[in-house]
Amino acid sequence: MIAVLARAPFARLTRTPRALVAVTAWCALAVTAAFIAHVGGWVHGADHALVETYAALAVPLIAYVMIGAVCGTGSLSGSTAPLVAFGASPAGAAIAIVAVAVAACGLLGASLAAVVALVAHGAADPPRTCDALTSAYAGALGGAAYGSWLSLGAAFGRRGGGRSAFLVLDWVLGTGNESAAAITPRAHLRNLLGGVPPMDLSERASAMALVFLAIGCALLATGRAAARRGGSGTQP
Amino acid sequence: MITLENVSARHGPLALANATLAWGPGIHSVIGRVEDGGTLLLSLVAGARRARTGRTMVLDQAPGDSRVRRQIARIPLEPSLPDGLRVDETLDVAAVIRGNQPGHAAERLATLGVGSLAKRLVRSLSRGETRAIALVEALTSSQVRVLLIEEPLCAIDPRAARQVTEALRAKARSGCAIVLATASMRDASEIATDHIILKAGVVIGRVASLEPLMGFSPDGSEAVMLVGDVQQALALAAEIARAPEVSAVEHHGAVVRARGSDPLALARAAARAAIETRVAIAELRLQPPSLEEARAASAGIAAATHANAYERMRTSLSRAPAGSTETDPARAR
Repeated sequence: MIAVLARAPFARLTRTPRALVAVTAWCALAVTAAFIAHVGGWVHGADHALVETYAALAVPLIAYVMIGAVCGTGSLSGSTAPLVAFGASPAGAAIAIVAVAVAACGLLGASLAAVVALVAHGAADPPRTCDALTSAYAGALGGAAYGSWLSLGAAFGRRGGGRSAFLVLDWVLGTGNESAAAITPRAHLRNLLGGVPPMDLSERASAMALVFLAIGCALLATGRAAARRGGSGTQP
Repeated sequence: MITLENVSARHGPLALANATLAWGPGIHSVIGRVEDGGTLLLSLVAGARRARTGRTMVLDQAPGDSRVRRQIARIPLEPSLPDGLRVDETLDVAAVIRGNQPGHAAERLATLGVGSLAKRLVRSLSRGETRAIALVEALTSSQVRVLLIEEPLCAIDPRAARQVTEALRAKARSGCAIVLATASMRDASEIATDHIILKAGVVIGRVASLEPLMGFSPDGSEAVMLVGDVQQALALAAEIARAPEVSAVEHHGAVVRARGSDPLALARAAARAAIETRVAIAELRLQPPSLEEARAASAGIAAATHANAYERMRTSLSRAPAGSTETDPARAR
């Protein structure tokens, strides 16, 4: 049933030209930064490109655009309305939408991280294949966590305006390395890609934190969307 | 199939007070404007809103129950369909969710004559087309047993509008309970077989037919006749004007309108005039009363019924032997 329910958000994601253009643009930005690092002959080119452009800009903004495409112009609960109208459970519809968002962000995050690592590979970086695989793993976790984080944001506000608030929150809190940063995907993704760790956490702890964020935010988002659909979130 | 017991609800400016209703298979109308609570009533039945007090049951379950939810379809004025999907894909997804076999989209769309929309993206549809698709989905799903529609003939694709009435009747014959919320007395009288009249969230009248209300209307009822040409219309109007039961006549082009207190007498007068003048009436239609007229009439009927009942009770009490239990008329009321 979830697969059937997922057809609607998946179609919305793949058939929204504006979102595809925006995602392509942010991907191009990350790859361009990687190419500049490669041309400049930076010894830690992959690390620089991944931390400073890919993790700091590309992944959050790609996830932001993708969640916007999956949810349409409304909130997460509003985007479940067409499926709920056919008799689907509000929770099932919300799970399908969040699952599509998280999977798409994770997949694109992994692919883009691997490409950036390959293009920007520097002399002092680990072996190319190994670096690409490790970056893909970190990118998948980071993308999924961002997808889930912003889905939770989209569950707030009549038109999903919480998505923007959560993006800003991630930017503001996640840039530092103190305890507040530990609740954001930004800090942990940066740690996994070789940047400054939040609260001196190990990479393993950050990986676990990203998994926890992905699952926790997804559960909260679906719970909130389902509750709103069953109560005050519906049109009269 | 649908029962509401002392249901009160509120959402923003919309309210419903103490509604007790029961609907079985057939087509039922809730007459009133949006602010009178018809839309809110449909939301309660669909399980999209919760009542503050009272109990709502649909198919012997709460409307939010997962078994019942798939059997309820609601067509609001602006239905939301999965906008990334094509129309045929939407029908397939809906079929799987409801527990029907997917496929046969072209066949289903043909029900309302909108087969050409099959390959269109939902987001490219107009509001009327979207409503037509939502209606096709509900009408052609064998799982749907409760169909709730706001303004069934308003803002709908013109190709579909011609076939909506007959399709709804066919669906009702299959055992479906269809409830229409409308402000149009004409739509209600054309489609539904019984009606409730809402005003400011209160049920002020229930009638099986709107025709009796015509006679109670302060302005009487109106008959509209369509004839061949202006000359025939003039002749017919002149003849109808002689009938004592007709209070006013006017003609505009080939259309003659006559007013009178009794709709049946009005129709007879029109028939007599047609025979006298040998004018063929292409169409004779009794205009349903306006919403305000219907409300006034049903309130009048209710008041008269209440006064009669009270009078009968007083009479029977005054005849009762001395020493029998005294009843307080206020309490009896």
